[in-house]
Amino acid sequence: MSGRLRLCHRDDIAEGQARGFLPLPGARRKVIVVRRAGTLHAYMDACPHYAGGTPMAWREDAYLDGTGQHIACHAHGALFDIETGACLSGPCLGRKLTRVPLREEEDGGLSVPAQVAGRAGRED
Amino acid sequence: MNIVGPDHLVFGVEDLEGSKQYLEDFGLTPVQIDATGWCFEALDGTGVIIRHRDDPKLPPALPTRNMLRQQVYGVADATVLDQIEAEMSRDRRVTRLADGGLEFEDDLGFSLRFQVTIRRALDMPAEKINAPGAPAQRGPNELGVTDDMPALPRTLSHVVLFVPDIDKAVDFFVGRLGFVITDILQGAGPFLRPGGNDDHHTNFFIRTPAYMQGCEHLAFHMGGPTELMVAGDRFTRKGYQTFWGPGRHRFGSNWFWYFNSPLGVHFEYDADMDKHDDSWVAREAPNGPEASQMFLLQWREKWAPMGGPEGK
Repeated sequence: MSGRLRLCHRDDIAEGQARGFLPLPGARRKVIVVRRAGTLHAYMDACPHYAGGTPMAWREDAYLDGTGQHIACHAHGALFDIETGACLSGPCLGRKLTRVPLREEEDGGLSVPAQVAGRAGRED
Repeated sequence: MNIVGPDHLVFGVEDLEGSKQYLEDFGLTPVQIDATGWCFEALDGTGVIIRHRDDPKLPPALPTRNMLRQQVYGVADATVLDQIEAEMSRDRRVTRLADGGLEFEDDLGFSLRFQVTIRRALDMPAEKINAPGAPAQRGPNELGVTDDMPALPRTLSHVVLFVPDIDKAVDFFVGRLGFVITDILQGAGPFLRPGGNDDHHTNFFIRTPAYMQGCEHLAFHMGGPTELMVAGDRFTRKGYQTFWGPGRHRFGSNWFWYFNSPLGVHFEYDADMDKHDDSWVAREAPNGPEASQMFLLQWREKWAPMGGPEGK
């Protein structure tokens, strides 16, 4: 696990659910983990609308839109494709969420590279 | 034209239950207006009306995915409605509603409604402070903070719109409805107040591409900076997400704290905004971190310097 930070266990993320995890106490941004059609995806919790990115949930873990079909930024209503992170509508059209490489450990733990804790979000 | 300011903002939301919970936790009081609509009121009766986005009672949606459906403005009395009707009827369809109100679209396609204001007069003290050299505002034994102190939104303060054409928006609100520009953030847009309100702004326009047209945020006035901090702290502890703040703006001097919402706009607590009259000359400054705030702070968990050097 050296150089990696554990976020949660794979069973903590139900199908169709998204959750946000702070990779380290005091980290600048959370990492969003979302399960869609059985596959886990992870992105920085940082809407690419503004430089540096801004947090997207409206309440803890509330990252999906009302239909549960997209990741949504509840700052300005932008929608993102869960599989690709691409903005489908809203202010950051043409941009993408920053994908985070997620690794599933033998015990089912989900981890991300340690440098994620220092990441701001949008990387131009 | 004696327009007082926004009475209500109407939204067609995707997540009705989540939105209701959010608005109540924000500090607004729910009032069911019919089988499918709710008004969430500040203390003076102004506030936010929500329905599910498919509700046929809503005005049409904007071409964007923004959930704002209508801005409802209050005016001083029925003669003002007559003035607005006469002015607007020159070049657009104006609907006179059963309650005497007016409905029409502005030049950018936003749905507007005007009515004799529903604002109830508030009679409440402002936050009181004590300072050396000035008479004490709180008497002996009168406490500044208590665990159960109220910190509720008093009135709908302002609405901020993303507009694809600032000139059109300004020509309409200033030229046709008598709003006044109080200050301008270059690169973003102007702050405006209507003839019947001396607040620094009830409206702010931000220049954006057409695919973003809609509401950017709305704000409620609090009783002072401490109430704003207490309300924001309580809201944060319920799990809600800060977008920007707390801090204090330069233009308007108001304290601010913005939160994300399931309505796809920011909700802002604001406090202690400047007042202006017609002798005020609008300032201009380039938009950016320096011009937009005097200072910016960040919420954190409560902490106290306790224990020994080892942190025990």
